[in-house]
Amino acid sequence: MSEHTYSIPVGPLHPAIHEPITLKIDVEGEEIVGVDVFCSQVHRGIEWLGMNRNNPIQNIYLAERVCGICNVCHPFCMVQAVEDASGIYPPERADYIRAIMAELERIHSHLLWAGVAAHEIGFDTVFHYTWALREKVMDLIEYLTGNRVTKAIMMVGGVRRDISEEGKKKIKEGMQYYLEKFAKIEDIYLNDPTIKMRTRDIGVLTREDALRLCAVGPLARASGVPKDVRQDFPYGAYADYGVKAITPDTYNGEIHADVFDRIIVRLLEVKQSVDIIKWAVDNLPSGPILAEKNLVKLKMLLKKAEGEGIGRVEAPRGEDIHYVRLEKGKDPYLSWKIRAPTYNNVLPWIPMLLGGQIADVPIVAASTDPCMSCLNRVTVVDEKGRKYEITKEYMHELSVKKTRRLMRNANRSF
Amino acid sequence: MLTGAFEVIWYIAASFLISLFAIPFGLLTKGIDRKLAAHMQWRVGPPVWQPFWDVKKLFQKETIVPEDAISWLYNAAPILCLASTVTILLYIPLGPFPPILEGHGDVILILYLLTIPSLAMVAGGFASSSPFASVGAQREMVLMMSYEFPLAATVIALVWKISSLYPQEAAFSLTAFARHPIWNIMGPFGIVGAIVLLIVLLLVTTGEITKVPFDIAEAETEIAEGVFVEYSGRNLGLFYLADAVKTVVMSALIVAIFFPYNLSPLLTPNISIPSWGWAIVDFLFFLLKLEIVIFFCMTFIRVSVARFRVDQVVKVYWGYLTLASLLALILIALDVML
Amino acid sequence: MMFFEVLKLLFKKPFTNKFPVKYAPKNTLGLIEKVQKGEVKINPPVDTPPGFRGKLEYDIDECVGCGLCAQVCPSHAIELVKDKNWVIMHCKDGAKLAAPLKIRIYVSRCIFCAQCVDVCPRKCLKMSDEFLLANEDKLAEDLIIPGP
Ligand code: SF4
Ligand code: SF4
Repeated sequence: MSEHTYSIPVGPLHPAIHEPITLKIDVEGEEIVGVDVFCSQVHRGIEWLGMNRNNPIQNIYLAERVCGICNVCHPFCMVQAVEDASGIYPPERADYIRAIMAELERIHSHLLWAGVAAHEIGFDTVFHYTWALREKVMDLIEYLTGNRVTKAIMMVGGVRRDISEEGKKKIKEGMQYYLEKFAKIEDIYLNDPTIKMRTRDIGVLTREDALRLCAVGPLARASGVPKDVRQDFPYGAYADYGVKAITPDTYNGEIHADVFDRIIVRLLEVKQSVDIIKWAVDNLPSGPILAEKNLVKLKMLLKKAEGEGIGRVEAPRGEDIHYVRLEKGKDPYLSWKIRAPTYNNVLPWIPMLLGGQIADVPIVAASTDPCMSCLNRVTVVDEKGRKYEITKEYMHELSVKKTRRLMRNANRSF
Repeated sequence: MLTGAFEVIWYIAASFLISLFAIPFGLLTKGIDRKLAAHMQWRVGPPVWQPFWDVKKLFQKETIVPEDAISWLYNAAPILCLASTVTILLYIPLGPFPPILEGHGDVILILYLLTIPSLAMVAGGFASSSPFASVGAQREMVLMMSYEFPLAATVIALVWKISSLYPQEAAFSLTAFARHPIWNIMGPFGIVGAIVLLIVLLLVTTGEITKVPFDIAEAETEIAEGVFVEYSGRNLGLFYLADAVKTVVMSALIVAIFFPYNLSPLLTPNISIPSWGWAIVDFLFFLLKLEIVIFFCMTFIRVSVARFRVDQVVKVYWGYLTLASLLALILIALDVML
Repeated sequence: MMFFEVLKLLFKKPFTNKFPVKYAPKNTLGLIEKVQKGEVKINPPVDTPPGFRGKLEYDIDECVGCGLCAQVCPSHAIELVKDKNWVIMHCKDGAKLAAPLKIRIYVSRCIFCAQCVDVCPRKCLKMSDEFLLANEDKLAEDLIIPGP
């Protein structure tokens, strides 16, 4: 650090980063020479509520609120974990409906991201334009689930709403709309010289770094790591479809691992989602949508269930994992652990930002599509100037203690 | 002695009149710009008079001075910025009316005066002692230095042409431009050169009034409004007004240099109304020209591109625009020689 | 390149749905009053689809007070209360006067998940398509079901 270095705090309140996270950036002129990330500016205690206050059915809606945008992935993932633990598996039709919902969500999330990214580089026209196009999928979601954003469609052992013939028609119409508009979106994002100027060779995350830092989702795929839960560990209907992870070389044969590549990957994924939805609607099997229709009975079954389960879902931002442990005779989960994709995708910010310019911070940070609401889990208390830093060693000690306690409790109930 | 006193009073009154015109018109322009930009972005946008509400609101709000700021400089910067911007208008002809300070200064003076609002912003930015504001102030300086050359080159090329044809004119005065509209005196090479210079000047204007893609000094998503990050209330309101007036200044300059035409010479043979009526018609025509220029140098550009990075801005100004203006200079030189 | 696109958009009708009015009114409450009196017309919101999840409707007479809805409500928006109307209940040991259990829903807490609708054995809960529920007072009269 030379004497010309000074540091700029980006966040927790900053127009570029809409959520509470702090990036401390050391700059020399415009160049970034040091980056540090401070997470956990807020803590909502979602897992605690799930383990102490709520019964599994209430938890579905709590999981839905882990993140405003991924409100299918989180309950989907949690429900999978619970199903894994309790052995109440969904019928086939429910699997397909879940996949349709998850892909609708991916379309809306990626379009939302694309708009935000355009806004970050000061291209507001594209931002408004993309969001206007996004309305169609929002309307579709509203039609299918009853609300624009929170879908409230997951249930342990199935889904809560069926897709009617009318609904199928609407979905097909909507997908046709996106296939038509896709050329336009592609033209705007991939051929506009100013967007290219701001994103080509910016925020490069090499393949090695992506692997080393466990990047997930489009971020990893843009670095040439073909990693996608839907491909590697297919769940539900995806196993029938055979998803292929999209890397930027499918578009133009080269991998730069930069922000532009992330745009490519996300846009292509929108198209992939459209394909998956069309396929799922065409092949929607008939049958029930719930394994256990009677909610009261389901609640009893879950209360009686015992065991642990893991759910993995490819959320729009990457791999989402929920771990759930159920205990007999107790409504709340014994243990619930959420590992949201942003948790993995925050550390890659550091190699991506180093050596860049201040002007790149917003777009590079946005290029991972960060979602702090999923990420935060530890509070650092700052009280009267005294700062409690939770060190790694202390965390480890706490975890060991907790694991022992859990094991003891679990043993006792056997 | 008496005339001297009268002159001073006239200047003071005129400055008032000018600000009475420039500030509301600048705000209205901002409103129109926002409305048009909104429509180009497929949305409705605020009502045209929204900037007036904004200013009213800002002036009612509390003005906060950061603890570490150099408060006198911090408070003086917005006033200086607005005052200097209004001053420039005194040197620019407004449609049918010659500049109020005619004969006291020329284009070169205007070029110098144009830097003062930016310098005031830089001073205010540094005085507010926020890292974002410092970055913003640095960027503002970079921006200023990079558009200075194309701006100067444009003006000099045109002045050269005029003075070579009419050596008796006071070469650098804007009224000379008004008397000899450049499109009338140029040969074919000169026309091409002048078009290039017009484009250069339009782009310089975009930078001068810090709008996307050259709004690096404010860059909302990067450095949170940069130099203005700490400003609030009345001070921010003054900067807002200065920005509005600056838009008028820059477009009036372009109109004065490139489109000094009036409607009256064209229409007098056919329609007869008193001369003050013609003054009004010409003035309205002038306002229309301003709006058209502003549409192209501000609204249209800012909705159709992304913001550049600092190095890219420098490259655009020092590289492309400087090259373009030099090329235009050569074309005009050819024109003069032929 | 957006240059031509923006020019095209300039002459297109804006995408925005101008609900409730094109520009923010000076006085919102005044506007609402005027609308109620029928003096001004507002632009309608986008239509809600069938099956929209809006404000709950509660049929108090059907409700048997089983409390299942309160058990599954994720946001604890439902409270079990004693009914104001006492009724004669017929038990083993003769008839007696008692207040049956009913529920009270705090709409300001409700997250519109429709879980209570699904679980209710008497089907006395229903979701309407009413969604304009913003209020400054979270205990306002129309945000508590059933009303006073
Ligand atoms: S809709 Fe959901 S949140 Fe609202 S009262 Fe019913 S269960 Fe509770
Ligand atoms: S579940 Fe239905 S019947 Fe039971 S208390 Fe709730 S509203 Fe009444």
